Amino acid sequence: MILAQFFICFLATLSFAILFAAPKSELFFCGLTGAIGWIVYLIFLQFYDSIPLANLTATFSLTVICRLIASLRKHPVTVYLISGIFPLVPGAGIYDTSYYFIMNDMGQCSHYGMQTIKVAGAIVLGIIFGFALPQIWFNALGQLLHAARSGN
Amino acid sequence: MASTKEVLSLAVETGDALLRNGAEVYRVEDTVMHILESYEIEEYDVYVLSNGIFASANENKEDACSMIRHVPLGSTHLGRVTALNQLSREICSRECSLEEAWKRLEACKQIPTTGTAAAAFFCGVGCNCFCYLFGGALPDSAVAFFCGLALKILLQYLSAGKVSKFMTNIVGSALVTLISLGVHLLAPAILYDKIIIGSIMPLVPGIALTTSIRDFFNGDYLSGAIHMIDAVLTAFCIAVGVGTIMTIYRYLIGGIL
Repeated sequence: MILAQFFICFLATLSFAILFAAPKSELFFCGLTGAIGWIVYLIFLQFYDSIPLANLTATFSLTVICRLIASLRKHPVTVYLISGIFPLVPGAGIYDTSYYFIMNDMGQCSHYGMQTIKVAGAIVLGIIFGFALPQIWFNALGQLLHAARSGN
Repeated sequence: MASTKEVLSLAVETGDALLRNGAEVYRVEDTVMHILESYEIEEYDVYVLSNGIFASANENKEDACSMIRHVPLGSTHLGRVTALNQLSREICSRECSLEEAWKRLEACKQIPTTGTAAAAFFCGVGCNCFCYLFGGALPDSAVAFFCGLALKILLQYLSAGKVSKFMTNIVGSALVTLISLGVHLLAPAILYDKIIIGSIMPLVPGIALTTSIRDFFNGDYLSGAIHMIDAVLTAFCIAVGVGTIMTIYRYLIGGIL
């Protein structure tokens, strides 16, 4: 089940990376980051039922992985982060909020509206925490992995 | 040694191309400064906003020079950002003469965008997959594929006609809602909400949100605010587009929604 989700999210992120004309050599990694972010989100939800917290954890992992891949592949982080963030962006929240607004169900509307804002805030914090880790770590790790690969 | 003006226009032009294709402000500023430094300009000032570049160099010398660029918020092209980044790396390691750098810059700007047919297809695939991820069943995802396809074709058509971003988002999300409600009318088993959620994904302001946060994080508050407003307004427009069609549908069909 989780494998299917992984694969489909990989495909979804990859398609969006193509829409933003990401370089062909990086498409695989774009898909990978998105899929990993989504899986972290799903796994977190299994253990603790809080959508904003799950988003925070997932975005944080996503950012760290994107930075790692970026230093490994020597490309801007933007390439991976922009593609990878899409599964986590609260599209469903925007829909639900406007749906209940139309239905004149203000209780549900404000519930989903607040949740969307919370999720957006969680994404903000996740990215900020991810970028707060010093770049030197990633450079060192990237070099280490690079050396290990060329050593083989 | 090249004149200040030549170097500064190369640097600013590179920054312009980066900004236009969706790089964050910090990267643009950094790139412009590095290019100036690698062509031995020691005195300079660079200020980048999400829609403009201001730069001056060698103000105390004979050939002082300053430049301003207006860069409208454009669509994202990650391939160009990557290529430009590579170019600026090479300039910084002094592997690239000024003439060669200009040629490479022009080549980077010419990297094509994804063709209409391919873009429409992959937009469809993306919507299809997102619909499934957000809880749609297989038939729903199939409908979402066609929604995505139609949406991308509409977006391409609208962007060719220079329609404002507000209208683009409203009309785009309205189209998606229209298609999924239409299908729902013919086949009531279809989960129209999942289709809509999957198919509005290409419109959802993921990029604006991400760029905004990164600008804030790097201390570029003004640029961050510009992108944040962009993100909020886009979300609002999507809600309006979906909401309008839903309301009309409800009036016509009469509350069975």
